Amino acid sequence: MTTIPISWYLAVAAVLFTIGTVTVFVKRNAIVMLLGIELMLNAANLTLVTFSSYFRELAGQIMVFFVMVVAAAEAAVGLAIVVLLFRHRETLNVDEAQLLKL
Amino acid sequence: MEWLGISYRAIGPELVLAVTGVLVMLLEAFSPGKKRRDGILAAAGTILAGVVALTLWDEGPRLAFSRMIIVDGFRVFFTLVILLGTLLTIFISWTFLDEERIPPGEYFALLLFGAVGMTLLVASNDLVMVFLALETITIATYVLAGYRREDLRSMESALKYFILGAFSSAFLVYGIALVYGATRTTNLAEMARLVSGSLGRAEVVLLMAGVAMLLIGFGFKVATVPFHVWTPDVYEGAPTPVTAFLSTAPKAAGFAAFLRVFSLTFAPLGIESVADQLAAHWVAVVTAMSILSMTFGNFIAIAQTNIKRMLAYSSIAHAGYVLIGVLARDWAAVAFYLLVYTIMNLGCFAIVALWARRGDERVLIVDYAGLGFRQPMLSFPLAIFLVSLAGFPGTAGFIAKFWLFKSAWGAGFPELVLIGVLNTVVSVYYYLYVVIVMFFREPREEVARVPLSRAFVATLVVTVVGVFYLGLLPTRVFAILNAAQSLLAVGMR
Repeated sequence: MTTIPISWYLAVAAVLFTIGTVTVFVKRNAIVMLLGIELMLNAANLTLVTFSSYFRELAGQIMVFFVMVVAAAEAAVGLAIVVLLFRHRETLNVDEAQLLKL
Repeated sequence: MEWLGISYRAIGPELVLAVTGVLVMLLEAFSPGKKRRDGILAAAGTILAGVVALTLWDEGPRLAFSRMIIVDGFRVFFTLVILLGTLLTIFISWTFLDEERIPPGEYFALLLFGAVGMTLLVASNDLVMVFLALETITIATYVLAGYRREDLRSMESALKYFILGAFSSAFLVYGIALVYGATRTTNLAEMARLVSGSLGRAEVVLLMAGVAMLLIGFGFKVATVPFHVWTPDVYEGAPTPVTAFLSTAPKAAGFAAFLRVFSLTFAPLGIESVADQLAAHWVAVVTAMSILSMTFGNFIAIAQTNIKRMLAYSSIAHAGYVLIGVLARDWAAVAFYLLVYTIMNLGCFAIVALWARRGDERVLIVDYAGLGFRQPMLSFPLAIFLVSLAGFPGTAGFIAKFWLFKSAWGAGFPELVLIGVLNTVVSVYYYLYVVIVMFFREPREEVARVPLSRAFVATLVVTVVGVFYLGLLPTRVFAILNAAQSLLAVGMR
């Protein structure tokens, strides 16, 4: 049985990370930007798991649990902020949040 | 359980802070709205944590919790700087909480949880810990930035802080993943040992990419150009006491981690090794970041009309100065600079917060016109802090800059010192402009004097004394830092 080489996994992760980064840059909807960030975090997770199974040790996989927990906590706070903004503004477009000039 | 290295002593300060935070929150749940009680409890917890941290001072470098936590002078000193920042923030928030009618329990608890993250970040000896601690800080501070829920500016600031903060965290995690792939470890001591030898070609490439990602992540967290875009908006929109907190304590913690990862782990050794290969690149990039931060920060600060934004750009410029110390790999100079910066910046923001009043009404520089002789208790300390930020001799700001530039000169970065000194000259303009407006311009309309609370006076006393003590008699603190530095150098390798 041939196994898939490690570089393929890493390439997929790198592509995912790039897609996530581009999403954050291009999209202007706060929720979609959040999705892009989740994608980036999951790309990092995939990389960690790949190396972990390649090295035959657990450290990387345990790190993934930490990342997942942190991502969940971050999403909870982030969505609360987005909901609050939506109540006042009735829009999710971050470009409209321009009281403070960038 | 000896092999796990569980030692509650090693995380004593963090435990005290966390327990106090939970306690404050529980008290708020059962009998809400008692600001005095919650504030005093939070301040007492912070002071106790400082005392516990002091007891760790003499314990030379040692590791705990499977080498995840490190105890050394470096950590203790930074912990004390952070706790000082937290304590003064609690004092600054005193009047603000009344005026904004904010429930005090959660506010103080969030401050304490943020402080737990910062002190853990300073103590971490493993990239996993670095990540967790950084996230503890940022999640607590996202909420704090958006604390004035009725105010759109505060919400906007929270949203921008959140999106860019989470974005930079993703870079950090990806960087950690790549570094893990290259070195098979996330432990910094282990990594320092590995990079002092040689690695395979593929590993070196992975490590380069990983370190670049880490640099982006840290660059965002400590707000250096070109990763600074969030800073002015977040600092302007967040409630002023929170801005004071954000611009000092997390910055000190972030720079401590920056030093630990770059100046200590990936430090050039002057021999044929992976570390030197890496250093050739990161030193160049950090040099560019430092020059850009100083120049950009100072020149854009000149054009600001809002004092909070001006101080935000000034903090970017100061981050640039600190990076010079990171390059010189003199952590004692950096630690001293951050101590001084914490003191003078918090003093500055204490006055800005008090003068701004409810809903951040008076935050423009022109609003300070005529403050000078009408309320000298506000104007003279503010002038002292601004002059110290500019780095006038006799104040702490001068000594801190002098030490930083001196060690950079010794470490072979004369061009950075030159640019730093020129930038200092530029910065004098916008700091002194505020002083001139305060003393020599007439106000547009007569304004009532602001009542001073006891907590505010305490903050002023601590910060003004700090600025002059460190400016005129710094030798004692120098000696302490130098002792800690030599101890650390023995323990690291």
